[in-house]
Amino acid sequence: MLARSRIRPGFWLVFWREVDWLRRRPFLLGLTTIVPLAQMALLAAVFSAGLATRLPIGVLDLDSSDLSRTIIRMVDATPDSAVAVRVGDLAEGRGLILSGKIHGLLMLPRDLQRDVFAGRRPEVVFFYNTQTLTTGSLTARGVTAAVPTAAAGIRLSLRSAQGQPMESAEADLQPIPVQIHALFNPTLNYVYFLLAALIPSILQVIMVTTSSYSVGLDVETRHRLRVLRRLGGGLWPAMAGKILPYTILFMLVLGLSDTLMFTGFGLPRRGQAWLLIVAGLLYILSCQFLGALLALLLKPIASAVSIGTLLTAPAFGFMGIGFPRLGMNAFAYAYGALLPGTWYLTARIDQTVRGTPIDLSWKPLLILLAFALAFVGLVAWRLDSIRSSADRSSRAQTAPLVEVPS
Amino acid sequence: MSELLEAFRTEYRRIFTVKPVFSVLILGTAFYAFFYPQPYLNEALRDVPIAVVDRDRTPSSRDFIRRVDATPDVAVIEELPDIASAEREVFARRIDGILVIPQYFERELLHGRPSPVALYADASYFLIYQRVAGAVVAVARGTAVEVESARLIGLGVDPALAAAATDPLRLTAVPVFNPEGGYATYVLPAAFVLLLQQTLLMGVALLGTLADTDPAEAGRRRPSPVTAIAGKLLAYLALQAIILPVYLIVLPYLYGVPRLGGVLPILIFAVPFVLSVAGLGFVVAGIFRQPVRVSLVLAAAGLPLFMIAGFSWPSEAIPPVIRILSYLVPSTSAIDGFVKLSQLGAPISVVNPQFFTLWALAFFYNFIALLQAIREAKPLTPVVAARTPRIC
Repeated sequence: MLARSRIRPGFWLVFWREVDWLRRRPFLLGLTTIVPLAQMALLAAVFSAGLATRLPIGVLDLDSSDLSRTIIRMVDATPDSAVAVRVGDLAEGRGLILSGKIHGLLMLPRDLQRDVFAGRRPEVVFFYNTQTLTTGSLTARGVTAAVPTAAAGIRLSLRSAQGQPMESAEADLQPIPVQIHALFNPTLNYVYFLLAALIPSILQVIMVTTSSYSVGLDVETRHRLRVLRRLGGGLWPAMAGKILPYTILFMLVLGLSDTLMFTGFGLPRRGQAWLLIVAGLLYILSCQFLGALLALLLKPIASAVSIGTLLTAPAFGFMGIGFPRLGMNAFAYAYGALLPGTWYLTARIDQTVRGTPIDLSWKPLLILLAFALAFVGLVAWRLDSIRSSADRSSRAQTAPLVEVPS
Repeated sequence: MSELLEAFRTEYRRIFTVKPVFSVLILGTAFYAFFYPQPYLNEALRDVPIAVVDRDRTPSSRDFIRRVDATPDVAVIEELPDIASAEREVFARRIDGILVIPQYFERELLHGRPSPVALYADASYFLIYQRVAGAVVAVARGTAVEVESARLIGLGVDPALAAAATDPLRLTAVPVFNPEGGYATYVLPAAFVLLLQQTLLMGVALLGTLADTDPAEAGRRRPSPVTAIAGKLLAYLALQAIILPVYLIVLPYLYGVPRLGGVLPILIFAVPFVLSVAGLGFVVAGIFRQPVRVSLVLAAAGLPLFMIAGFSWPSEAIPPVIRILSYLVPSTSAIDGFVKLSQLGAPISVVNPQFFTLWALAFFYNFIALLQAIREAKPLTPVVAARTPRIC
């Protein structure tokens, strides 16, 4: 009672109360900081190699000729694949693929060398496991690069054998070479592609669910909401004071993860740093107010947290990183558009690897702004309707018989 | 024996009567079955939009463009005068690739000199890059072989020899187990295993933290910890005897994901999987002790667990320490094992390492759960000592 005259209700009171709560509740503080940072560290370690190189494949060499050995050496020399085992027959190779020891099997047929030089066009077969799509296509990339190179040498000697002049024969080895430029990620590094998108996605789940939880603690019952409103000197300053400490925490977590990405992994910073920061802030606010809205709409807290999990935990697939949105069906495309994360990742890719010009960068940012405003608006509307219904019921209690026009 | 049956019946009833548990184990499972596969159901990217910059403007260059456009993978949606304007279209995300055909493309080709084309493909999304690059390279190879053998025949070389001289060594790359290279076929069999784990883990952990609300149960004598755990495990096995075949056999069938393996090996492999996940659920419940904490902690765990399982990112590229730690989570062995059994049609002997790892985890986690239960049971001699509910 003594302190009452000194403490002025308002935004800062709620803000400091929340900070104090966080200090006294290691679980909530850990959930908003240590959990995402630990997951970030784990994933960073998983993808630290950046590129998957020298994936093991097997070879079934039925020819054992100079040519077959040359092909094997060339396949082994590509960065993607490594010849790990020689197998005696197809069944052995199949067994090794099943056990996961190798991801592909290169079969060089009997009489390969003889048939090649007789012009009989023998067939070299590479079986690769596409159930694991990434690994399978990487090994196939290595083999399909190496075998034509080996074949090129043969073409040359076949031509000269037919009496074609050497230089023209050399020229048309690759009649239409394709010079491929991998825009924005020339080394096809998985860190820039996948890891850079995974961390914000995990943060989305954490931000929505913990916001539901922390806001839920203060709005689960009418009484608690009334206490919060008194402390804040009004519902809106109270809600702002409630949200802001977490906004700061999440900005720190996101900033820390981005620092690691930029300095530790060398993620390119080709865009505008301030646009990236603004996008991050709008993303965090969108997620926080989405969580707050769930807490206001759903009681008890556990339901709000469950629905938040349901909405965000499977969200990664809908945000179109692994499988791009342009290939999705209408439902998945539309649902993806409703996730703040989709637009944050778009803005993020624009401002990091792509270096999108400013005038083409606005769309995802404006959508994020619209999300933030919409969720703030919905939270305000919900708080207002709770207050007016509370006012009505309290009025009804004090003056049950007389309808007082206000 | 009757105690065991009683514990089983109590737990089985609770799955359907405790509301948050029902939401996760029944409603959540049903929801994810419909919802999760949606992004991937088209299986493949088709008609990725690209632009061409044709500096040659000859029948050959137009023919080349038409061939590229004819592939199912890409669609040539516009022709632009220069690379700069095409680059802006990439930044605006209207196209994902630029094919540049240089001047004298036709002339060089007809003279039998190398006639390169340039491709700029968006590698900020790997699948898009693969599609665009794969399509253009395939068209270039095909066109090149035709042009070259036609030229050799024109020079008087025997047609059969001409074919051999242009393409002396055919390479046939045969994708096995997922011949279409479909994305749903790739990701769903593994993702379904993870979804099964996450829902069961959450359900068991919630059951372990939520008090039994049925007043009829309150007065009844508590079974011994061993019986209680065994009864609960039986209840989860009974539940998963329905859910797991739906997820791993019926859903793939409905979504058109091919399955090579038989049903029986999958069901046998499922036993230690369910037991180990349930055991881990007990342990999680024992650590976090409150339903809402359990929900919060497990909410964001799915994605990292999927990534360390060595499925979407090759386990060869994962640092050894993390690879070893990853075996502590059932999903690592379970995804590997179930995918091999169902998608690769492997016999159960092939998945022995995963099978035994899961059994080891099942014993390990349930043993810890037992220790937790014994410790909990001790001080509870006189009355049911209700833990004072704390908010967080």
